[in-house]
Amino acid sequence: MNNDNIMLKIKGLKVSVDDREILTGVNLEVRPGEVHAIMGPNGSGKSTLSAVLAGKEKYKVTEGEVLYEGEDLLKLSPEERSWAGIFLGFQYPIEIPGVTNVNFIKTAVNEHRKRKELPELSAAQFLKLMRERMAYVDMDSSFTSRGVNVGFSGGEKKRNEIFHMAMLEPKLAILDETDSGLDVDALRIVAGGINRLKTPQNATIVITHYQRLLDYIVPDYIHVIYKGRIIKSAGRELAQEIEEKGYDWLINGQ
Amino acid sequence: MKQNYIYAPALTSEFRCKVPLKETRQLFIVNGKVQGGKTPFSLRLEEGEVMKEMLQIISVRHKSYKEHLSTQQDFNFGKGSAGRIIQCSHTFSPDKFRTTEKVTITLERDASAEFYIMQNEHNNAEHSTSYEVNLEMGASLKMVFLSLHGGVIRNDILLNFNEKHAECDLAGLYLTDSKQLMDNNIHVNHLVPDCTSKQLFKGILDDEGVARFYGRINVAPDAQKTEAYQANHNLLISDMAKAYTSPQLEIYADDVKCSHGATIGRLNEDELFYMRTRGIPAAEARILQQKAFAYEVLEKISNMELRERMLSLVERRLRGEFSHCSTCIRNCC
Repeated sequence: MNNDNIMLKIKGLKVSVDDREILTGVNLEVRPGEVHAIMGPNGSGKSTLSAVLAGKEKYKVTEGEVLYEGEDLLKLSPEERSWAGIFLGFQYPIEIPGVTNVNFIKTAVNEHRKRKELPELSAAQFLKLMRERMAYVDMDSSFTSRGVNVGFSGGEKKRNEIFHMAMLEPKLAILDETDSGLDVDALRIVAGGINRLKTPQNATIVITHYQRLLDYIVPDYIHVIYKGRIIKSAGRELAQEIEEKGYDWLINGQ
Repeated sequence: MKQNYIYAPALTSEFRCKVPLKETRQLFIVNGKVQGGKTPFSLRLEEGEVMKEMLQIISVRHKSYKEHLSTQQDFNFGKGSAGRIIQCSHTFSPDKFRTTEKVTITLERDASAEFYIMQNEHNNAEHSTSYEVNLEMGASLKMVFLSLHGGVIRNDILLNFNEKHAECDLAGLYLTDSKQLMDNNIHVNHLVPDCTSKQLFKGILDDEGVARFYGRINVAPDAQKTEAYQANHNLLISDMAKAYTSPQLEIYADDVKCSHGATIGRLNEDELFYMRTRGIPAAEARILQQKAFAYEVLEKISNMELRERMLSLVERRLRGEFSHCSTCIRNCC
């Protein structure tokens, strides 16, 4: 088996929550430099897949495996996955009153650096990096002193997710419905940030319900997930087809 | 300022603050005896007098002293005077002992005062303090209790609004672990109209720690336009920790604003997962959450240097570091 150029390999993944099977056998391969879009109707298992990849504990893997850079991903804790280069952008980012955004991201960045055996950034270095990365998503400095996501609008929360991503520079970013609740301007800013972070070495999985986001982030592959498994994989032209015809023709073709 | 002590800190290197706060005078009470002055301690500020320096009153029980200690401190703020007090209690005796303290605070017309009370002993220490506070016309008082460490800590606070337009801000943070017991009993009497009281007490309880909060607000029949708010929030870190909270409002006036809220909860799992996905290890994420919970009380401390020191003390305590240092010169405040 040649895994050389495969960053993420999901094989026959079955996942249950409270004894209910949500993922019924997912197969997926992601290589560096690729952008994958996972689409599907509500309740098809999209968010479950992203949460499992990030290590949410209440999801039980009952069958299958996930290899990340050739290693078993599922045995790692959420923080170990983060250090290994996986980032989950939340559909509903969590508010943490009392923890300022700047302290939060500083702690996160320094924990990452610790694992790479790099010294902590000085206050000046950190500030410079932070300003530069906030500009990727048009955030102004007032966001840094506020509690993490506290009192942020829907659009601001999503921009904050991409700002976190920009600070942590993941190899594999999984963005769960990053487009939900965004108006056109916010969508353009968020997508612009994501595109800016794209390199030939990293990969992105965008999870979305609508084709809209894919006008801004052009995927290499589109997968349609339904009832917990991928029922169709194709190139970017599939998005247009779904936009026109909905999901029914795919689902009924089962 | 009439105060019945003169302090020369010659002999006390053992328990001196390594770095005293800027612009702070220190007074030591060793085994109940005021050093260089009369016991019991009393302080009176004359009319219009403003204390420039903060006064830090450090009560220390010496290693060899195991007897029951009963002490008193009286504070009297004259008309229009202002001052800030830090009260700390420490011990160098690991033995089982009991301390009872009585503190009276009177603020005359338009006086203002801040009290920061640091309670930091050990698992065998039993420390009860009763505060009696009387406020006259237009007086303004803030009291912040930081109950960091003690086998049994009991605070009885009786607060009387005797004349109009006075206000009082009461806040407390308590941290318990092992089998520690924290007991806060608060009685606020709104006897006259137009006064405001606020209470915010928050606790983090680990191991088999227990906290009790009893908060009573009485609003007398003619105490119209009273504003009285009370909140008590408890965070349980372990399955064995217990919190009992009992908010009591008795309101006999009809034109008032009063509220109370009491919660007992656990660390939020969604917050924890979110932090971990950003690479913050679970243990560190829990500390961040607890610091955030505590900060709402600590930010009541207006002196930034003192606030920072208290925050770092709280953090060390949350990390379990504080209980380990038995001989250090405590970097308290």
